[in-house]
Amino acid sequence: MIILWVVLALIGLPLLALGLYFLKAIVQGAIEGWRGTDDDADGPYELPAAAAALGMLPPDRQNKDSAGPVPAALTAALDAARAGDWQPAAALLDATAAERDWEYRSVHSSWLASVAAEDDTWLLAWEAARPDDPGAALVRARSTVALAGNIRGAQRAKHTTAEQFEGFHRVMAQSQEHHARAVALGVEGDPTPYSAQISTALGLGYPHAEMDRIWKEITDRAPHHFSAHYTALQYWCAKWRGSEKLARDFAADAAAKAPLGSLMTVFPLIAHFEHDESDSADGDRTPEMRALVDAALADVAAADPSHPHVAEVRHLLAYYLCLQDRDEAAVEQFRLVDGYVDSLPWKYRGDPAGEYCRMRDLSLANAAG
Amino acid sequence: MGATLRAVRALVLLAGFYLLGVVLLAVLVGIDWLLYRYAPASLAAKLYLVSVLLAIPVVRGLFMLRTPREEETAGLPATEADEPELWRTVRELAEQVGTRAPSRILLTADVNAAVAEDARLLGLLPGPRRLYLGVPLLQGLSEAQLRAVLAHELGHYSNSDTRLAALTVRGRAQVLRTITHFEQRADKSAAREQARQEKKNAKAEAKGKQAKEVDPGHAGVTYRMMAKIYITYAKLYFRATLSVSRRQEYAADAAAARIAGRDATAAALREIPVLDASFGFYMNCYATLGSGSELLPPRGEVFGGFGRMLSARQLELAGMRTELPTEPSSPYDSHPPIADRVRRIEELPDDGRADEARGAALDLLSDAQNTLVALEDVALTDDVRRFSRTRDWQELLDRTMAESFGSGSTSLHRAYVMYTKDQPTLPALLKLIEDGQLWQLAKRLPLSDEAAAANGRAFREFVRPTLHRSLISMALAELNARSLLRWEFSWERSAIPHLPPAPDGTETDLAEVVAPAVADAPDTAPLRALLANDSQHRGAL
Repeated sequence: MIILWVVLALIGLPLLALGLYFLKAIVQGAIEGWRGTDDDADGPYELPAAAAALGMLPPDRQNKDSAGPVPAALTAALDAARAGDWQPAAALLDATAAERDWEYRSVHSSWLASVAAEDDTWLLAWEAARPDDPGAALVRARSTVALAGNIRGAQRAKHTTAEQFEGFHRVMAQSQEHHARAVALGVEGDPTPYSAQISTALGLGYPHAEMDRIWKEITDRAPHHFSAHYTALQYWCAKWRGSEKLARDFAADAAAKAPLGSLMTVFPLIAHFEHDESDSADGDRTPEMRALVDAALADVAAADPSHPHVAEVRHLLAYYLCLQDRDEAAVEQFRLVDGYVDSLPWKYRGDPAGEYCRMRDLSLANAAG
Repeated sequence: MGATLRAVRALVLLAGFYLLGVVLLAVLVGIDWLLYRYAPASLAAKLYLVSVLLAIPVVRGLFMLRTPREEETAGLPATEADEPELWRTVRELAEQVGTRAPSRILLTADVNAAVAEDARLLGLLPGPRRLYLGVPLLQGLSEAQLRAVLAHELGHYSNSDTRLAALTVRGRAQVLRTITHFEQRADKSAAREQARQEKKNAKAEAKGKQAKEVDPGHAGVTYRMMAKIYITYAKLYFRATLSVSRRQEYAADAAAARIAGRDATAAALREIPVLDASFGFYMNCYATLGSGSELLPPRGEVFGGFGRMLSARQLELAGMRTELPTEPSSPYDSHPPIADRVRRIEELPDDGRADEARGAALDLLSDAQNTLVALEDVALTDDVRRFSRTRDWQELLDRTMAESFGSGSTSLHRAYVMYTKDQPTLPALLKLIEDGQLWQLAKRLPLSDEAAAANGRAFREFVRPTLHRSLISMALAELNARSLLRWEFSWERSAIPHLPPAPDGTETDLAEVVAPAVADAPDTAPLRALLANDSQHRGAL
């Protein structure tokens, strides 16, 4: 009879111990879960009084499609294009060519191209009505690039399917032909058709020599073209076709050669931002970084207030001023751009508006205290 | 540990393989005896029942060990009277290696050379030997290379390493055969279960129900459990005997290099993986080309074509020879990786025999053509032999293509049926494209999540490759039906379709003719012109 007890003890006791262990784990997990949800419960966002006093907006009222106000004429042309009318778009681009305003020609053609990437009926009508229109050719080339991007999607490579990559490469390859046509039809002195090629260089991985060739065409026509520099810097970044060294050198070179007010001083900051993988803000508070921010502040103060990219520079300045605990200066920049968040650094984040408002409110609180 | 000691250990482990089931049963009986002695009767009765349930798979496992006697692989017996040259070579090699010559030679239809022995008493006693010799191997090797291969195979039985080495070889072969048999039976019962479930699903689908996932998971659980125990043990055995086997492989290679020459041995080792891959490709793409339409090439050509393909694709093969497999072909394989074996042989000093016996190994046969014909009778199943024979390879290709297009079914065909509830024909599809309904039709294609979520231009880009491919194959079918298509048979490349020439006399590129029909603004005119063979209209392209 004693053997039965031995057997029971041998089997039963370990089972009991196992059961107790599981029970303990379950209770612990439940407690942690309960605490965790308590911590995470942020509650709805509340606009601080200081922000409200300056007329600043909560995250849900921030515009997530633009870095700053969109010119009324452009908005009208975009709406017309969506409705199938190409004429306002054509008039807009003709005006930039007449005024030789290559910065705005780039901005307008880029917005129009993203509309055409969804539906190009109006662009086809434009091409049919004016077969050799340089503006239409430019929008065509840029819309093909945008279409390739839409097919690929914005996910990282491992979340992108083979079908998406295949479509991306096929359409990107088509864009080469469209770029060539835009260049051939281009307005004399216009760097935009060349600058548009950089996206294809980036997507298809053109060799550095080819990129330098395109770059010479651009700088011969416009040495301080903002969006050309912006895309070219992306090309030279380590995550695309260059390296940290190449990107930093490119940015420093652009900033050194440019006159005050050209906004070129923002590129060293972007090069730093693109290669910054640290979790702390120490690297953003060095004397070198303070000097870069000072230079950009002077640049933006001297810039034409109607420059289409001035808001983007202010967004990045606000970010670094906040990190450098220069909160009053940061609030000044935040105040000037509030209402729009589609800009570096926020646009790389999962919740751009939330991230923007968090940093803004930090600076507001510190500046007040 | 000396070689002999290692071989003895291998023998003990081999005995363990066969005693495993007995030991397991003994353990169960021992437990029952303990229960009988010490446990109260009511509890003991229940536990007896459990032990009986556990004993069932063990007993089944014991029966599983009764592997059926190795079936003779189907082969064409080559008698000494028929093939004096081959027999003379084999005897001479056996003598040089220092072992018995096989008593039979069987010609087979695979890239293989093997000496098998009907060993008795679980591989402990020798038995009659057979040499299996694949004709495709003869087609691909030179005479000297074949001698190297045969010297290697015979070398396994030479006992040159240790007297027990040959025993290890036989033991390994037996255990391998046993577990292969297990796996085959487990697969078979799983396949039966799968077929049963699929049938059930088909029925459920016919009734419009959601089909269940097919999972052969639980078929023959006890059987597989036992098989797993034996396989685990066998793996242990293989690992323990691996070093002995590897040594024997190197020794056999060294013997081959001594007998057949260093360069021929290295070249043969390089050649075999290439021949193996090429033969698989040949069987897939040439020999069985017409199997869907129950057609065979002329007599003697089913295997005879392989030699022709090898000579036509010399350039391609030369590239393959430089890349050697660096991994063993299977975990049970006693052969070291080929790259390693080739390296060891090529490190031997030059023996100045590079130019020996360069003639084709196939010439050892007294009437190769006749052998190729006779081989078909043993290698092909009765059903396949009843297929009708074509006059030549070109006719085989023509008739196969004609039949395959008759039953063409692409995803575009199915989308068309879904959209129109009508028969999918090319003229009807072109009409639908001209009516501007192509992109509506495209929504019925099987789509990935990303493609289904896309709209407008992005959607059209997602579906365009499928539309283009499907339309090309529909166009080929239509051209074939209108006798506008000619297929060129080639030993070097895959079959090439020839279309009616373009207006300027150059080759028509079908992909280019079809592309406008699936463009954003579809234009079917070039394709219609091609179908009408109206070269004037196609000038507009």
